[in-house]
Amino acid sequence: MSDSIIVRLRRANPVPEVATAPGTELFARITALPGDSRLVASERRPQGHRRAIVLAFAVLAAVVLASTAYAVSHWLGGDVVKPPVTKREYSAAQKQLTLPPGYSWPTFRFPPDAENSVTPRGAGGGHAVMAAQWSWECYWVAAIRTHDDAAAARAHAALNALLAHNTYEAPAGAPEDWTPSPLPTQPFMVYAHDGGLEWIRAGYRLAAAGDATRIAQSCRANVPG
Amino acid sequence: MTDASDRRAAEERFQPVFSHLGAVAAYARRRGSRDADAVAAEVMTIAWRRLSDVPRDDPRPWLYATARNVVQADARRSARAAAHGAGEPGDLAPPPEIPELDPALAEALRSLSRLEREALLLVAWEDLTPTQAARSLGINATASRVRLLRARRRLRARLDEASNGSHDETTHLDLETT
Repeated sequence: MSDSIIVRLRRANPVPEVATAPGTELFARITALPGDSRLVASERRPQGHRRAIVLAFAVLAAVVLASTAYAVSHWLGGDVVKPPVTKREYSAAQKQLTLPPGYSWPTFRFPPDAENSVTPRGAGGGHAVMAAQWSWECYWVAAIRTHDDAAAARAHAALNALLAHNTYEAPAGAPEDWTPSPLPTQPFMVYAHDGGLEWIRAGYRLAAAGDATRIAQSCRANVPG
Repeated sequence: MTDASDRRAAEERFQPVFSHLGAVAAYARRRGSRDADAVAAEVMTIAWRRLSDVPRDDPRPWLYATARNVVQADARRSARAAAHGAGEPGDLAPPPEIPELDPALAEALRSLSRLEREALLLVAWEDLTPTQAARSLGINATASRVRLLRARRRLRARLDEASNGSHDETTHLDLETT
């Protein structure tokens, strides 16, 4: 495309050159993080196995379509709930958790066609824990950058409390939907046993030493509110 | 396959995606990001975590779409910081490297809808084809071509109107908030 408007815009490009810095250190830092587990799973799974899974899902879908969400929840062991319950969990969790000054709870929306869907019990509380965590991380980044030691200490304490009381790590080899037993009364979220939780803790240790890089990345990626 | 070989395979797949780091930083800078390098690093981190979502044959539209979300998230945080006073990261970043454009061009670009403007800039500044721009914007290729055509016509008309204005000033184009 080369008409005069495009040519004029190209001439006005404020950053005409693209830097080609190798970024070797950044590459190493990023690839040291847990990667995309779906990638490994999809590349490992043999074709025959995949077909079997598709068939199993087809049977499962037929059963689900032929029953109500209530029945499904009981069939799966009573461990899943419908959207109104998840929303109530989210609201109740807001009374047990705190956000930093200036932050508000994001609205928790289900897709319009999700009224018959089911979610593991506790997911509403987990959603609130994540919102609180990301908000405090953003608040901490700001505190570090403004050298507001009191605010930084408040954020650090709030995040430590979330990790101590509202965060669990699934045991090695546990299924993806693992939940603590008995189910906690406080809102909680569960991390897979893949190094993710330790990565977060390490980020908080760096932040406590004045390096906001990792929590700034988390804040930027998750942007609460 | 072992875990080590899985990781090596993932890194090999990520390498061509990561080679666009400079282009993503340039995109962020062109859209007025205050910390374009951090945006690019964040985009690459997201790409690594969601590598199976990144098209292998042509990752740039996906990367620009992700960068757009990250830049806009920054802009929203800055707006919220302005509403609540100091205390937000976007407010406290180093001095901005906001692109400077001549006022007539900036004004003409502002007169376009956000989607039209972004489609046009993806083609003009990021050197995407209209089909790639459509992919980045999540619209179909035909709709993208129509929008580009309209955007070019409207931009030309606005520039013609302003052609008797002064061109020796520069102005900032805040693409996130207009």
